[in-house]
Amino acid sequence: MNDFSGDYIKPELMACCGAREIQDNNVVIVGTGFPTMSANIAKHTHAPSAVLMQESGVIDAQPKRPALSVGDPCLNPGAAMIGGLVDIMGMLLQAGHVDVGFLSGSQVDRFGNINTTVIGPYESPKTRLPGSGGANPIGCLARKTLIIALHDKRRLANKVDFITTPGYIDGPGAREKWGMPENTGPHVLITNKAVLRFDKDTKEAYLASYHPGSTIEEIRDNTPWDLQVSDSVHETLPPTEEELRALREKLDPFRMISIYEKKGYV
Amino acid sequence: MSKVMSMKEAIAANVRSGDFLFIGGYVCRTPFSAIHEIIRQRITDLTITRSNAADDFDMMIGAGCVKRFIATFLSLGVYGLGRCFRRSLEKGIPRKIEIEEYTNLALPMMLMAGAMGMPFVPIRDMAGSDLLKVKSFMGEDKYKLIDSPFDGRPTILVPALNPDVGIIHVQQADEFGNAQMWGIGGDCMYGANASKKVIVSCERIVSRETVGKDPSRTIVPGSKVVAVVEEPYGSHPGYTPGFYDADFSFGYLYQQASNTEEGFKAFLDEWVYGMEDRTAYIQHYIQKFGYEAYKKLGAEFDYGFPVSYAY
Repeated sequence: MNDFSGDYIKPELMACCGAREIQDNNVVIVGTGFPTMSANIAKHTHAPSAVLMQESGVIDAQPKRPALSVGDPCLNPGAAMIGGLVDIMGMLLQAGHVDVGFLSGSQVDRFGNINTTVIGPYESPKTRLPGSGGANPIGCLARKTLIIALHDKRRLANKVDFITTPGYIDGPGAREKWGMPENTGPHVLITNKAVLRFDKDTKEAYLASYHPGSTIEEIRDNTPWDLQVSDSVHETLPPTEEELRALREKLDPFRMISIYEKKGYV
Repeated sequence: MSKVMSMKEAIAANVRSGDFLFIGGYVCRTPFSAIHEIIRQRITDLTITRSNAADDFDMMIGAGCVKRFIATFLSLGVYGLGRCFRRSLEKGIPRKIEIEEYTNLALPMMLMAGAMGMPFVPIRDMAGSDLLKVKSFMGEDKYKLIDSPFDGRPTILVPALNPDVGIIHVQQADEFGNAQMWGIGGDCMYGANASKKVIVSCERIVSRETVGKDPSRTIVPGSKVVAVVEEPYGSHPGYTPGFYDADFSFGYLYQQASNTEEGFKAFLDEWVYGMEDRTAYIQHYIQKFGYEAYKKLGAEFDYGFPVSYAY
């Protein structure tokens, strides 16, 4: 048996942080990359009865290789059900049956709003990004939204250039005003330095735990808003032996997750 | 009456410059053969739609076929952002497309409404986002925000879409157009049925009797279909479940080529303009990458229990 303890890379820690937010029997919409890793770590550890689905139409896929997109060929054979977008996004998500959605953002702000549309002005973009895809409905309708982002002053923002996916919009009461389902919204923001959670009253992201190797001061310096720190702030629990075994022996033997290091997740 | 014809005939007879097209696919069953033919026939000023667009829409935009795009997303997935899409919106090359943006819940519902003959459909997403602030060619008809007449809650209504032509690639169809599909559906079924007429591209043409052995797999009835084209490997470099895998190397090749205007033009010259049809394209692929590379894409067979509809 391999001993992985103490030997891990930041993307693996982040995937484990995501996994820990998923409870057994949760219905989870996953994309590719981190979301899939996290959801599968959960499934192979503490949440064996979690049900994973892809917006493209797949429920409980049994992929034999890591899926590279939500439409990946390996998601087809073995699934419990395959339909289409209306089935997943309508019949399950919009109808209120999805517990956890997992999103990443090019830019995320203090209220958990996510921008995947455009950097710079909409009409004359500096960088045109892909757009919403399934992110907006997941952010509107999943009970808990987990968000992954890089931790620097460019990726985190006081206010995103464009709200593709609403978090708490402009603060307390905003989601209710728009008629969104109760008890939905951003639940956690997992970065390469820390885990942020959202304050019940202000709806602003605050520091809940700092990853090994990062300090509270460094994290506050790299956050563009006046980051509040939880009274019970602590170091993020490193990946456990069990989590790493699931990741490396079952889910990602070729350690494809290491590509995220090249994208800055260090 | 048989509707079987070549892709060249199907596109020439049914797709006009200025048309509104639904083009199905989700990496899964992208009708690439039809897309190449549209580019080859230099059809322009199209309005195109589908949820989660990828390399195929990027290519049509780069080739100058597109005026308007009813969109949710466009990306080359693991290969990164769509280069032609970016050049169009950031620099107006080859032209700045007009884009109307929805989501992967709203757009499939709009196509569903179109397929059902409903005038519009209420949705529970898009609320509170800047997608409500940007309006393009659909103007005030992009959406309406009302208080629900039933419970008073703020509710967004989006219009039904009825494209002029729907183009899909499926596993099999009969000569009348009864189209059978399995695997990841995306918005294919509703998009096709919302369209005024449908072009069906398929891996194989089967008999009407074969269709009848598993009729629950038919997603478009033949009555809506105007052309049936047999195009093996018709969605390459996308995939078709049960037939062949996605060609990830080719996806990377396209991304690298489309990085620059010159590279993209050379790609089109080699793989689209330089090819008479899909057969020539596949032959060129085999000549360039070898028969082994082609064969490697082929799916293994893993049949389930046959279904019976007997009584």
